[in-house]
Amino acid sequence: MTHLSMDALVSLREAGQEPGDAAAREHLEGCENCRAELERLHQRVARLKALPALRSGRDRWPEVRARVMAERRHRRNRMAGLVGLAAAASIALAVAIGPVPGPVASSNADEIQQAMDRSQALESALHGYDPESRVLDGRTARIAQELEDRIAQVDRELEMADLMEQQAREPQVLRLWRERVGLLDALMDVHVTRASNAGL
Amino acid sequence: MDSYLLADADRVVARARAGDSDALEELYRAFEAPVYNLARRICRTTEDAEDVLQETFFEVCRSIGRYREEGSLWGWVRTIAASKALMRLRRNKYRETEELHDEVTGRQREDTALRMDLEAALERLSETSRAVVWLHDVEGYTHEEIAAMMGKTPSFSKSQLARAHVRLRRWLGEEVAV
Repeated sequence: MTHLSMDALVSLREAGQEPGDAAAREHLEGCENCRAELERLHQRVARLKALPALRSGRDRWPEVRARVMAERRHRRNRMAGLVGLAAAASIALAVAIGPVPGPVASSNADEIQQAMDRSQALESALHGYDPESRVLDGRTARIAQELEDRIAQVDRELEMADLMEQQAREPQVLRLWRERVGLLDALMDVHVTRASNAGL
Repeated sequence: MDSYLLADADRVVARARAGDSDALEELYRAFEAPVYNLARRICRTTEDAEDVLQETFFEVCRSIGRYREEGSLWGWVRTIAASKALMRLRRNKYRETEELHDEVTGRQREDTALRMDLEAALERLSETSRAVVWLHDVEGYTHEEIAAMMGKTPSFSKSQLARAHVRLRRWLGEEVAV
């Protein structure tokens, strides 16, 4: 008597009907050996499911968080670069087509550009300082995290500000870029002060 | 499963999407253990499993905005973890474990006399077979889903599963003389 192969037994466990399942079921009806084999398969799977969960000995969240923050910073730099390019393109266009009637050019534009330049300079300095590779004590790490979260929040508000009407947008954008510069200054202070205290 | 692992999952996801670091950490803490277990069952070493854990949550943090809430949150996280673990297997190009054992100990060895426990038998399966067994029998993925994640056909997944069970049966001493 030919018994069911493991392929056939495994297939019988599936919910769907495979070609040959009907014949296999018919065989199963009359074969005690194959019924026992199928039962052993069920039990083996049940034992697999009951194996104890294996646990990691290390907390990987600090690494994950550091990478997420590094990527956010990279995205912010890229965005600031794109905003700078867009501003440069607007200036080039304005020069090319000459003065146009309509709203007077915003007096905030220069200040926004200055804040963006300052922000980029601070980001570069911070990047050069490489805070991700340095160990912080718990309190300093918390302060740095709060500052980074607030910078991320400002970036989200900057993205939202892009959707506003120009007249309302410029003061808002200026305020946000200034806030961003202040937060980056504070973040730089946290890292530099801690490094001096630790003698690094 | 979501509510079991993470109370108030919807609110945590909404906060995570807004970039809240605390919410991202809550996601990590909620799913860290099952993700590591899945990764460790598929990967050969604890180091690889920990790397998969890290890669998985980095991807979760980056992609949480794309999670559409069509399935369970755990299902979404688990699929990322499984893909990362399978990617790691492909990258490491592990030698098939069974073949390695056979080379070392010789093919004449009486496998039926081994009578391993289930953990040891599972560990002895080849990487691919073990991944299929775990994803299908324990995590409940279909052969079609496993095939899609592995870049293979459903028939490949089915034959790997049957082959793995033949070996497990032998190593566990469950073969019955007919």
